[in-house]
Amino acid sequence: METMKDWAIQISNVTKVYKGKKAVNDLSLYVEKGSVVALLGPNGAGKTTTVSMILGLIQPTSGSVKLLGGDPKDRSVRDRIGAMLQDVSVIDNLTVAETIDLFRHYYKTPLPLAQLLQISGLTNERSKMASSLSGGQQRRLGFAMAAAGDPEVLFLDEPTVGMDVTSRQLFWDTVKAMAGRGRTIVLTTHYLEEADQIADRIVVINDGRLVADGTPSQIKATTIGRTITFTAGPSVTNELLYAIAGVTDAEWNGRRVRLYSSDTDRLIAELIMRGVEMKDIEIQSGGLEEAFRSLVSSAKEE
Amino acid sequence: MDASVRRAAIAQLKSELLRTMRNKRFVFFTIIMPIAFYFIFTSSMDGDLTVDGIDWAAYYLMSMSAYGVVGSGITTLSKKFSRERSQGWSRLLRITPLPSWAFVLSKVIAQGLINLCMIIILFVIASVVKGVELSAAQWVESGLWIWFGSFSFMALGTLVGTIRNSDVVQVVGMIVYLGMSMLGGLWFPVESMSDTMRGIAHAMPTYWLGHGAWNLIGGGAFDWNGVFVLGAYVIGFVVLSSYIMRKQEAA
Repeated sequence: METMKDWAIQISNVTKVYKGKKAVNDLSLYVEKGSVVALLGPNGAGKTTTVSMILGLIQPTSGSVKLLGGDPKDRSVRDRIGAMLQDVSVIDNLTVAETIDLFRHYYKTPLPLAQLLQISGLTNERSKMASSLSGGQQRRLGFAMAAAGDPEVLFLDEPTVGMDVTSRQLFWDTVKAMAGRGRTIVLTTHYLEEADQIADRIVVINDGRLVADGTPSQIKATTIGRTITFTAGPSVTNELLYAIAGVTDAEWNGRRVRLYSSDTDRLIAELIMRGVEMKDIEIQSGGLEEAFRSLVSSAKEE
Repeated sequence: MDASVRRAAIAQLKSELLRTMRNKRFVFFTIIMPIAFYFIFTSSMDGDLTVDGIDWAAYYLMSMSAYGVVGSGITTLSKKFSRERSQGWSRLLRITPLPSWAFVLSKVIAQGLINLCMIIILFVIASVVKGVELSAAQWVESGLWIWFGSFSFMALGTLVGTIRNSDVVQVVGMIVYLGMSMLGGLWFPVESMSDTMRGIAHAMPTYWLGHGAWNLIGGGAFDWNGVFVLGAYVIGFVVLSSYIMRKQEAA
């Protein structure tokens, strides 16, 4: 086991059974301090269950979970974490500033109130009753509460649900800034572009199992790769194409050819250098969305 | 207590005080209503009326003080607990460093402070406006009796608060509050009730809360029966609500 590194999260062979069904199935995941990890997966994949186990809100059926090297239920550990959970609404009869300030008092080294209001974009709403905020604003208030203790590990469970485009941008800018200060961030999302933008590691979970783990570009390259599509001239043959380095697959559709490769930039240079007859060239980089879909569907077929 | 826990609990306490005092329904039902009832029913009655030899204005002051703290405990705590559980707030607090006992304790202390203020306000109004005369010891003893007794109704509040739907909690809390107050003789003295109703009254914790105070200002002995009955109720409420909560969490 990799114990030498400074781990924020250590999940070893964790299984959680709910009503006879495995919500999480033999999952192992180690997260280094300072990394930004996105847990990606369709609804019901087990992301929230995984986060709840890391936070000590639910007990794994088997396996072990460590947060900052300790038990997530320890007060000393809780003092160093923060979380934005799903479906948390606000407390009644307190203003925005009062709610945040209450949370600040739970922690030993809180961030200043003004800074929390600023990073959640709620400075103008500070005197409003929290219950009168819009859904997106309530989510941002949730973020301010999660950040109140200046956490070393920050959990964001589907954080941008209900936020409008502007809120979402401000939110990710702030999270990026926190990540820049060496904070570990674990987020779950099914907004794939967001995971791609923010995370330096993506862990794809489906049916309670880890199906892929890597940097966003690794995930994209190893799953679907990129494609070059063109109409082939009469001299082009299947054998000729397979002889070119970097071609992983070729699909013919009449004279239309689609080549798969992990590096389409080098491949196109190679094709031109070899003087392969091509017309109407299209180069596509498989988006994360496609990568994600192919991962999830191939995991289902197994 | 760890200094950081104390700091967190005090902040929680302040927030609970603010939240309760900003709740208009609370202020109306448990502060304004007992005062209004007190004025209405002491003004409409014959000035020389006595109950068990106690001057009516003094007797009814105890009734209304008890009535106020009963409502404060039942309705406020039940609503807070139910709401916070159903809206994920309690779950969120479980990942903060605030221990759950400190969270519950600060709610109880906040409500206790509010109850104490309610009793003092009513006592001052009665003494200044209605000219109620009691010895210093009687003022203090009856006030403290009602105050200590009020904690048993907080236990009842946590029991009602185990109902998940917070709208249902509000209705049930009101019914329990008004029903128990009326049946327990806080609105109208048990002495004016039929035998059957009086029998029911004697089973109500509200009756025993009032009885101890009436006894103290009437010069009777300290009401150990009341202590016993209220204590039994507290144990019952706490055991039942923790049993229900554990069952709900297991589900």
